Amino acid sequence: MTLLSTPAVSVRDLRKSFGSLEVLRGISLDAAEGQVISILGSSGSGKSTMLRCINMLETPDAGEIAIGGEVIALRKGRHGRTEPVDRGQVDRIRSRVAMVFQSFNLWSHLTVLENVIEAPVHVQKRPRAECIAEAEALLTRVGIVDKRNHYPAHLSGGQQQRAAIARALAMKPKLMLFDEPTSALDPELVGEVLRVMRSLAEEGRTMLVVTHEMGFARDVSSRVVFLHKGVVEEDGPPGEVFSSPTSPRFRQFISEHR
Amino acid sequence: MDAAFMGETFLRLLGGLPLTLNLTFASVVLGLVVAMSLAAMRMSGVPALDWFARAYVFVFRGTPLLVQIFLIYYGLGQFRPSLQAMNLWGFFREPYWCALLALTLNTAAYVSEIMRGGLQSVPAGQIEAARACGMSRLLLARRIILPIAVRQALPGYGNEIILMVKATSLASIITMMEVTGIAHKLISETFRAIEIFICAGAIYLILNFLVTRAIQALEYRLSPHLRNAPSPMPRLVAASE
Amino acid sequence: MSIFSLMSFGSEGWGLAMVFAAGVTLSVAACGFLIGSVIGSLIAWVKLSGGVMARGAADAYTTVLRGIPDLLVIYLFYFGGSAVLSSIAGLFGPGGFVGVSGFAAGAAAIGIISGAYQSEVFRGAYTALNRGEIEAAKSVGMHRALMFRRIIAPQVLRYAIPGLGNVWQLALKESALVSVTGLVELLRQSAIGAGSTRQPFSFYLAAAVLYLAITTVSSWGFRRAETYAMRGVRRA
Repeated sequence: MTLLSTPAVSVRDLRKSFGSLEVLRGISLDAAEGQVISILGSSGSGKSTMLRCINMLETPDAGEIAIGGEVIALRKGRHGRTEPVDRGQVDRIRSRVAMVFQSFNLWSHLTVLENVIEAPVHVQKRPRAECIAEAEALLTRVGIVDKRNHYPAHLSGGQQQRAAIARALAMKPKLMLFDEPTSALDPELVGEVLRVMRSLAEEGRTMLVVTHEMGFARDVSSRVVFLHKGVVEEDGPPGEVFSSPTSPRFRQFISEHR
Repeated sequence: MDAAFMGETFLRLLGGLPLTLNLTFASVVLGLVVAMSLAAMRMSGVPALDWFARAYVFVFRGTPLLVQIFLIYYGLGQFRPSLQAMNLWGFFREPYWCALLALTLNTAAYVSEIMRGGLQSVPAGQIEAARACGMSRLLLARRIILPIAVRQALPGYGNEIILMVKATSLASIITMMEVTGIAHKLISETFRAIEIFICAGAIYLILNFLVTRAIQALEYRLSPHLRNAPSPMPRLVAASE
Repeated sequence: MSIFSLMSFGSEGWGLAMVFAAGVTLSVAACGFLIGSVIGSLIAWVKLSGGVMARGAADAYTTVLRGIPDLLVIYLFYFGGSAVLSSIAGLFGPGGFVGVSGFAAGAAAIGIISGAYQSEVFRGAYTALNRGEIEAAKSVGMHRALMFRRIIAPQVLRYAIPGLGNVWQLALKESALVSVTGLVELLRQSAIGAGSTRQPFSFYLAAAVLYLAITTVSSWGFRRAETYAMRGVRRA
């Protein structure tokens, strides 16, 4: 695999602590355009924190993040905490990086359709009619266009997560982050969400997926990264890492998550 | 600001404190009794009683206390001959009794709703569990429902007591010289509203602070199950080694 | 004379005067409530994001205003306001006594009291927000003002409606106390009628009925508003 072109996302020596707890202890990761990376790890390994740092929902203590070659400028603020130099830059980058949350986080006061067009209309300032047409196409694609005028609370978990994916897609993102998108779902609803994610992977989108779904990691992703205690323990194509893991901890993780 | 004036004002206002306390205490206690009857009516399942209690609560919560006081103190004067015939005029002629009656009837409406809320908050599962181990209705009420309901209702009841401390100030409008009454008199004598407000306000704040603390202490005593778990017993630690 | 002919709308009846006075009650309560909304949202904002000192001051404000009888606050604004205005007038020449209008003092007093309660309502509503929805707003690149306007404000308002309904009822009932300033609102008008006809019970009863009508209609209105605002929330 070549990384001659600019990576879609590039993370260099990322560090983050919460109080005395060191969650990320120097993580580096490059994702090429079109790659689908599954990020595995037991709870507390730092995988969600890493994802949240990429979208600046958490500000890293040290390290560098570049999205499509644009480095997010950070500085030491008061009290020694890092903070973004330019909030405008953060907002601009966020509007190109979409995030899908474990708990969906649909805006409860807006209907499904309103959720999907909210950011395109108000953040990207695109014409409303155009956004609605696109949103309906996206909702059709994720299979819930008939629910477009429903409020999130009236949808099943799987439908809510598919709506959240449509909301993410509506931003026409260069990079999609999935933070355990199926962990809050009842087992029978997991499949419908995974099917949507698989179709996104197949059309060549760049995706970073924190997940516990070993099937997805094995069959859909182009690369698997295993985090343990805030460092990358294993990194490679699923065919290699699953058949001959180099890290004993990853071997144990696989055997526990069969 | 004039310290001597403040000091003197404070002392004169304190002269109204016994009446403020008297009205608060009497109306809170009597109100509790009336509220219990109202709550019992609401829960009785007898339509007429239930309806009466609902109407009572609706009227007393939907109108200002001052209107209720005026209705009793001034309004009933319209029926003076009949009241005299019933030997009740002696009661309704006195501003103290009228204020106390209005305060009592008013707080009873609010407290009955607080009680009802507390009783309804008892989880059905815990009542079933008590039935399942053979508790009689009375035992169930005494050992399970009341303790949980009282614990639930206590914060709301505390607020109501504070509201009553404040509400006694309205008795001053029908000539009772409690703290606010004296404050009003002093303001119209001296026109130094700000200093007098500070002194009277301080008295009410201290009073309400004490009420809050008392309720908090009671709340703490009644809720050992919500405190932090005690550290594990040494015996258990030894056993796990 | 029966209470119905007493309260009739003809030239002999007091009906029109009573209804007009009820309008004054509504206006002074509404002005106070709106002043309270402005104060309440500012204080809530300070409580949520202010520094230690500012937060302490905001908490003190709420504690004091909720612990002091409303009547005292009305006296403060009515008599204290007049004293302040008179002394200011004195600076510009040999003024005399300048009185504050009962309406202004009443609205200000209700506003200050209602602001203390409303700040708690707004603060509570804000803490009821789902953090995840705010993160989702950040994650699509909303800047703070946009996020406040599109996501936070509508939801805070929605959660605040029941609390605001209660505060409005308090404001309505507090307005009866403004009668001590001589403002001819519903209770004062009833006292005037009671004095001139010697039928106090009829007048105070009529006042009670009008108050009851106002509180009933407003609680119905707030319930309607809540149902509308909560249309996106699953019923338990």
